[in-house]
Amino acid sequence: MLVKYLQPLGQWLLRSIGGLGGALIMLWQSVSVLPGPRGLQRLVQQLYVVGVQSLIIIIVSAAFIGMVLGLQGYTLLVDYGSEQAVGQMVALTLVRELAPVVAALLFAGRAGSALTAELGLMKATEQLASLEMFGVDPLHRIVAPRFIAGVIALPILVVIFNLVGIYGGHLVAVDWLGVHSGAYWGNMQAAVSFVDDIVNGLIKALVFAVLVTWTALYQGYMCEPTSQGISTATTRTVVYSSLLILGFDFILTALMFGGL
Amino acid sequence: MPQTPLVEISDLHFARDTRAIFSGLNMQIQQGCVTAIMGPSGCGKTTLLRLIGGQLTPQQGRIKVFDQVLGGVSRDKLTQLRGRMGVLFQSGALFTDLNVFENVAFPLREHAAMTTDELHDKVLLMLEAVGLRGAKALMPAELSGGMARRVALARAIAMEPELVLYDEPFAGQDPIAMAVLQRLIRSLNDSLKITSVLVSHDVAEACEIADDLILLGRGGVVAQGSPDKLVNSSDPLVYQFMHGQADGAIPFHYPAPELITEIRTTKAKSSLQASIQTHSPESH
Repeated sequence: MLVKYLQPLGQWLLRSIGGLGGALIMLWQSVSVLPGPRGLQRLVQQLYVVGVQSLIIIIVSAAFIGMVLGLQGYTLLVDYGSEQAVGQMVALTLVRELAPVVAALLFAGRAGSALTAELGLMKATEQLASLEMFGVDPLHRIVAPRFIAGVIALPILVVIFNLVGIYGGHLVAVDWLGVHSGAYWGNMQAAVSFVDDIVNGLIKALVFAVLVTWTALYQGYMCEPTSQGISTATTRTVVYSSLLILGFDFILTALMFGGL
Repeated sequence: MPQTPLVEISDLHFARDTRAIFSGLNMQIQQGCVTAIMGPSGCGKTTLLRLIGGQLTPQQGRIKVFDQVLGGVSRDKLTQLRGRMGVLFQSGALFTDLNVFENVAFPLREHAAMTTDELHDKVLLMLEAVGLRGAKALMPAELSGGMARRVALARAIAMEPELVLYDEPFAGQDPIAMAVLQRLIRSLNDSLKITSVLVSHDVAEACEIADDLILLGRGGVVAQGSPDKLVNSSDPLVYQFMHGQADGAIPFHYPAPELITEIRTTKAKSSLQASIQTHSPESH
C-alpha cells in the first residue's frame, strides 16, 4: 500500500534530479566557451531583443509602482506627521525589494517566455538539428548569447526600474501632494546605503537573471517539438521562474537583511 | 553503376522508450546511386536518416559511413564527417532570421576558407542551380514550401558533400514543385557525382528517380532492389505498399477487440452502473 504512494514520489524525485542535472550540464556546456567576435555581435543582438525590447513594460510598470508607493506612503505617514520620509520609504522599498522582484517577474513574462517559444520553434522546425548537421553546436551558437544577454540585461533593467519608480514617487508625493522636494531627496540620500541596499538589490537582480534566463532556455531547448509541447514549455517558464524568483527572494532577503 | 557501399549498417537495434523501431536492420547504400528508403508511416525512415547523420546513437549494431564507424567517434571527428554530408530536412529548416542568401552562405561562412567575393559567387551559383538566384534577398517566411525546400537544397549542397540525405523531399509539394525537386535531386546526383539517400513514401516519384529502393518494415529491411523489382514483387507487404492498397499485410484497423464484443461489454457495464445507482440508498 505504502509502495503505491512512494513509487510516484520516488519517480518524481528522480526525474527532478535528472532534470536539474541536465539543466546544469546544458548551462556549463553553453558558457564554457568564450564567444569570438561574431559571438559578440550575436550577444549585442540578443541584448536588444531581451533588454531593449523589455524597456517599455519595465518603465511603465516602474512609473505606476513608484506613484502608488508615493501615494500609499504619503497617506500612511501623514497621520504621524512624517510625510517628509516618503522619499526614503519609496526608495528603500524599490531598491531592496520591489524593483528586483517585479522587474524579474516582468522579465520572465516578456523575455523568458519569448526565449522559450523561440527555442521551441527552432527545435520544432529542425533548425537546431540543422545547426548540428553543419557542425555548429547549438548550445554555443543559440543558447550562450541569449543566456549572457539575459544576465546582463536584467540588472540594468532593475537600475532603470529604480530610477523611474523613484521619479514616479516624486511625481505623486512632491508634485501632487506637496511634500517638500528637498526633504524627499534629502531623506532618501540619508537613508539609502550604497552597499547594503543598492548593491544587495543588484545581487538579487543578478541571481534572478540567472534563474529566469536559465529556466527559459532549458525549457525551450528540452521541450517536445510540437505546438502543445511549446505551449507547455512556455507556461512552465513563467510559472517556474516566478516561483524561483519569489523563493530565492525570501532566501536572499533573509541573508542580506535578516541578520542571518 | 559503381557498387561500392558508402553507408553500411549491420545488426542495428534502436528503440524509443519501450517501442522497438529497428531490431537487427542490415543494409548498404551504394556510392553514386540515388537510394530511396520507403516504408509505412512510423517505420523509422526519418530515424534511420538521423542515425546515419550521427544525430542519434543506436542501442546496438554498427553504422559505417565513409569507411568510419560512427559509434564512439569523437565530437570533432563527427563534425568532420558531417562536413562531408548534406541534409535536406523535411521542414527545410531554414534559419528564419537569415535571408535566402545568408542561409545558403551559412555553412560556407562556418567551414570554408573563402574570401567574401568567392563566397558571394559560390552562393549565387548554388542558388542558380536551384533556380532561385532572383530570390536571394527574400526571407524564409516569404517563400513558398517548394521554394524553401529548394533553398534548403542549395544550402545542403553548398559544401559539395559526398553524401546528401533528403528527408521527405516531396511531402506537401504541388506537382510542379515535386517535378522540379525530382529533377534537381537526380541531376545534382549525376553532375556532382554524389550519393543521395532519400526518405519518401511517394512511390511514383521515388521510383522515377531512384536507382535502388529499400523498403522498411517489421523492424528491418523488407525488400531491396530496383524499382521494377519491387513493383513486381509478390511479397504481400511489398505489394500492398508499392500498389497503395488500404488493406493487406498491414491491416487497415489498429489492433482492437472485436467490435461486437466491445459494444456488448460497454453496454453490460452501463446497465450494471445504472442498476447500482437505482438501488443505492441516496436514490431513495
